[in-house]
Amino acid sequence: MEEKAKRITISPITRLEGHGKIEIFLDQQGEVEDVYFQTVELRGFERFCRGRPVEEMARITTRFCGVCPWAHHLASAKCLDAVFKVEPPPAAKKLRELGYCAHYIHSHLAHIYALGGAPDFLIGPTAPPGERNLWGVIAKVGLDIGKVVIKHRYYVQKIQDIIGGKTIHPVFGLPGGNSHPITEEQRKEIEGMAKELLEFAKYTMNLVLDEIILKNKDYVDLITGDVYYHKTYYMGLVDKNGKVNFYDGEVKVIDPDGNEYCRFREDNYLEYIAEHVEPWSYLKFPYLKKIGWKGFVDGKDSSIYRVAPLARLNVADGMATPEAQAAYERMYDTLGGKPCHATLGMHWARVIENLYAAERLLELAQDPEITDKKVRVIPKETPGEGVGIVEAPRGTLIHHYWADENGMVLNANLIVATGHNNAAMHMSVKRAAQKLIHNFKVDQGLLNMVEMAFRSYDPCLACATHSLPGQMPLKVSIYDSERNLIKTLSRG
Amino acid sequence: MKTLILGLGNPIRGDDGVGIRVAEELRRQIKDEDIEVQEASVGGLGILDLIQGYDKVIIVDSIQTKDGQPGQIHRLKPSDLKSYIHTSWPHEVNLTTTLSLGDKLQLRMPKIINIYAVEIKDDITFAEECTPEISKVVPKVVHQILSEEFGPV
Repeated sequence: MEEKAKRITISPITRLEGHGKIEIFLDQQGEVEDVYFQTVELRGFERFCRGRPVEEMARITTRFCGVCPWAHHLASAKCLDAVFKVEPPPAAKKLRELGYCAHYIHSHLAHIYALGGAPDFLIGPTAPPGERNLWGVIAKVGLDIGKVVIKHRYYVQKIQDIIGGKTIHPVFGLPGGNSHPITEEQRKEIEGMAKELLEFAKYTMNLVLDEIILKNKDYVDLITGDVYYHKTYYMGLVDKNGKVNFYDGEVKVIDPDGNEYCRFREDNYLEYIAEHVEPWSYLKFPYLKKIGWKGFVDGKDSSIYRVAPLARLNVADGMATPEAQAAYERMYDTLGGKPCHATLGMHWARVIENLYAAERLLELAQDPEITDKKVRVIPKETPGEGVGIVEAPRGTLIHHYWADENGMVLNANLIVATGHNNAAMHMSVKRAAQKLIHNFKVDQGLLNMVEMAFRSYDPCLACATHSLPGQMPLKVSIYDSERNLIKTLSRG
Repeated sequence: MKTLILGLGNPIRGDDGVGIRVAEELRRQIKDEDIEVQEASVGGLGILDLIQGYDKVIIVDSIQTKDGQPGQIHRLKPSDLKSYIHTSWPHEVNLTTTLSLGDKLQLRMPKIINIYAVEIKDDITFAEECTPEISKVVPKVVHQILSEEFGPV
């Protein structure tokens, strides 16, 4: 076979191949038979945690990820509240949520402008990868917008600093509350920034709608196209009114038709979620326990569910703030109702969440209780087992610790957002491969399609590795039916 | 000259934290008011927030290159990493893109940026210490930075 001799290899610059490795196996006709999507294995987490004072977990786990330290910190703080059986005072909860809204804006703005949304859609999904980046976006929307993005990221950084006690990795969350209240002066400062952030969130919403969605008639076709379309279950936190909430609430799961499948609190998550293990993957595949693992298939009979912005919007009855609610209704009207199964709809959902985060941030900054000095209840109970759940920007995050009576960690279990989405990402990669590989011919667009699927899930494949050059190398290897490597595509 | 030494890495991911370890040691040794030492576990745009306003920035980080040997020390300029300008990491933009963005937006960017990158061995095992091989290199990196950046010691 000539293809075999024509083995093309573009070696990755770094050796970190395991960070994003995809192997595609073809059948005798040269069609896709199977796909394996592998991520790097992080070793020794449980051993690392065992025997430490459990309250250290809130500081340690922020180091898992340089991108979402706040999500880990708050899941951990809530978990510690449960471990020590103590309920934080209202002001402490509100401050946690306020800081978290700032973190959401920080995270979502980077994704919208620099990483996924704008590069893929403003520049266009078929544009060369060299243009689908931050430069392409700046060339299109102008340098001033770049400055404005940086300014607003600075604001949210500042707010995180005031609440979190440290610029990047927060240290304020303790069992039973927070380390410090905020002063009236700090509240005013936050309120001022929140007002500007809200204006910018509205601007971003309009930019995405008017410049990206409404001007590109292919957009809706693309996002509802079949490559990234999966009918799955969805999971996310909802508040007592059924609205999206990032910090607290009940976990709600809906089926692919949009009907409520189940609802649970932290303590019961193991009744609903189990983790499937595949011999070729270090990362496990969580699934809905009562349905049982049915393999990498979508549909109502399969137990695969998804998390992240679109999943949160799908499970909720709406948004708790007015501007975000209007944007929410508009999205579902345009995309043909709820739930939306189009993976690329994640980008749209993210912009709506950014708007909600800004509105909620301002609301909390104006809450009379926010400067209350009572921000901690000192735990008095003997520590034990606890679970904390928050919505990380990229999906549901679960921390579960077991402590002995002296408060030392016996064990710890974490299910991160990328874990929940692992099976779905696997399906997206497989579907892209099936669409773009025929008769041994590999379309050059494969890497882009795979990247676009990844980018919409916003996965954390190797939390917090900052090794230079600072990016995730992605390597796709394609094998024939006799397991001979016939082609390698990589970016790294 | 207002100088920042910025140690980057993850302090609980073994060798990934080598930049942090070097920075900690430099903080102990340097007693100059114009030189600030910081450790951070960030990448991408987060770095932009940290380096503005300094005349000179020295970044210490881990690296893994194709033919690199653990413990090797590379002294790089941002331009050495130029080939990465068009690639993107799912969560953050990379260092080169970040620095050029700062220039393009006319932020108060440092005139001099020197990068010391240490080839590492293991960054996938949770540990607060570097592997013995890399720990051994920390004093060497410290010495090299002190002599190359701040004159003979």
